[in-house]
Amino acid sequence: MQSEDEQVVDSSKAETTKTCTQTPEVDDWANFRDDDIMQQQSAIQAVEADKIPFVGDKEPLSSLAAEYKSGNPIILEKIKVLTEQYAAVRRTRGDGNCFFRSFMFAYLEHILESQDRAEVDRITASVEYCRKTLLSLGYAEFTFEDFFALFLEQLESVLSGPEASISHEELVERSRDQSVSDYVVMFFRFITSGEIRNRSEFYEPFIQGLTNTSVEQFCKSSVEPMGEESDHVHITAISDALGVAIRIVYLDRSCDDKGSVTVNHHDFSPVARDPTNANINNNSNNSQPIKPFINLLYRPGHYDILYPNN
Amino acid sequence: MAEDKYNRKNPAVKRILQEVKEMQSNPSDDFMSLPLEENIFEWQFAIRGPRDSEFEGGIYHGRIQLPAEYPFKPPSFMLLTPNGRFETQTKICLSISNHHPEHWQPSWSVRTALVALIAFMPTSPNGALGSLDYPKDERRALATKSRNTAPTFGSSERQKLIDEIHEYMLTKALPTSQGEQSSEANTGSEESPQGPQTDIETTTEAIPTPAEDDGIVEEEEDEEALPNLTENGGIIEEPNETHTVLANAQQVLRKPESRVAKPTDDRLFTWAIYGLTFAIILLLLKKFLKANGYGAVFMNES
Repeated sequence: MQSEDEQVVDSSKAETTKTCTQTPEVDDWANFRDDDIMQQQSAIQAVEADKIPFVGDKEPLSSLAAEYKSGNPIILEKIKVLTEQYAAVRRTRGDGNCFFRSFMFAYLEHILESQDRAEVDRITASVEYCRKTLLSLGYAEFTFEDFFALFLEQLESVLSGPEASISHEELVERSRDQSVSDYVVMFFRFITSGEIRNRSEFYEPFIQGLTNTSVEQFCKSSVEPMGEESDHVHITAISDALGVAIRIVYLDRSCDDKGSVTVNHHDFSPVARDPTNANINNNSNNSQPIKPFINLLYRPGHYDILYPNN
Repeated sequence: MAEDKYNRKNPAVKRILQEVKEMQSNPSDDFMSLPLEENIFEWQFAIRGPRDSEFEGGIYHGRIQLPAEYPFKPPSFMLLTPNGRFETQTKICLSISNHHPEHWQPSWSVRTALVALIAFMPTSPNGALGSLDYPKDERRALATKSRNTAPTFGSSERQKLIDEIHEYMLTKALPTSQGEQSSEANTGSEESPQGPQTDIETTTEAIPTPAEDDGIVEEEEDEEALPNLTENGGIIEEPNETHTVLANAQQVLRKPESRVAKPTDDRLFTWAIYGLTFAIILLLLKKFLKANGYGAVFMNES
């Protein structure tokens, strides 16, 4: 679904590699060293940051429609259909981390509002299991423990215990603070990478179909580095690893033969798993899938958070 | 380490302190790296030249700068010891080392990067920026030279750290072709095959298998570059052989494994001599005893 974007990314990567291996006399581009490239990158990021924070404010769906006012009629029609089920949208920055960032905010916000202690206990157990997975895969603990600790800290802070939970404003504030937000995003990347590597036989065909690379290479180049966009492989993996269902609502120009418009969605339902052992229980009761509490809006190349009507 | 002056809540500082701790508790023979006391974002390191390459025995110093966004942004590396593979005091182009900034990931560390840097030394530079493509013999000369003194660089505090690291590495990195190693070669210790290095091995190896070496004469500068070669006289067969050795510089680099077995053979001969000598003495003794009439007793016992 993101193949076009990926191609663009790929060719720009190829170019930067080339610039480094050419001799200066041949091409001025060779003068771009890693530093320059990184400076350029951070300049681009700064421009992007001015436009939208990591996590934006909640906006009514009408603001989405306003975006396409003179645009594609199918999209406008679909937004109209969306309003039957959804009330609002919260945008995230398009920096390649939008899926993980959306997931982070939607999840923590859900815990803050539901105060679902059982869910927190459940995910904490999953996180501990993921920690063991990473260790068994040969990751050095010091490379990921800070990220784990920071996520667990956030999780604790949104749940009222002996101390009151943080306010909603505080959660928004933290999600916009790079030293929290990026750490949680990276935490999810570790979780995703660990899950994919741990069950590589399961993910291999999907990865082959997507990028034609090995599982190892995929994790190295498309999961663990910050700013690499997420695809259905990432979403499946994080949903399975953390046991959290995710609904993705697709907003694109597709329509059926008769020209009637429906909005598709796909639910990523985690496979049932006993967090105390690695076995995945395939024949267990997946018959009544839970309705996901995380709803994300997908427009080609980007994810935002959706809020259902109550 | 003045840890107190840093904000331990700062995630980068926290991570870097963890790495320092990890580096100290799992020291490696192949590298050593520590931050400056005055600034933990500035590290000094030394790597040992990879085995079975022209860098073997060399001790290469450099500095590392960690960005404020570490570990989200990669560290940058710069070598200070002339080595013939990377320019000194120039940031190493990371694209060539699998550590391209776009693909840097927080699960990597200073340790990972140093291991990659070592693995990278014997690879072909392919014209990458900041790379050098010196001939093997010059690199070998630089490797030998690198052991003598640590580079002079920066503040006195930094210099102290560089010197400390150098001392440490000297105890870990075996010399290129220094005489002090000849005794070790005879003791049969684990590392002795790497001790008397490539030159000797080239000499001995090239005789039985000249066909492997593609008929190109190895530069004679080898000998000049390594004036200590003769100190090894005790264990090498014929230093002169260097002149007749046929070796393609590239091929030598690629086929180091085949040259390692020689000191073992030497040891075998030594034992054979001991064995033969013992047998001869035994026979003489037997003959002597027999001649004196004790023959029957002796024969029964043996």
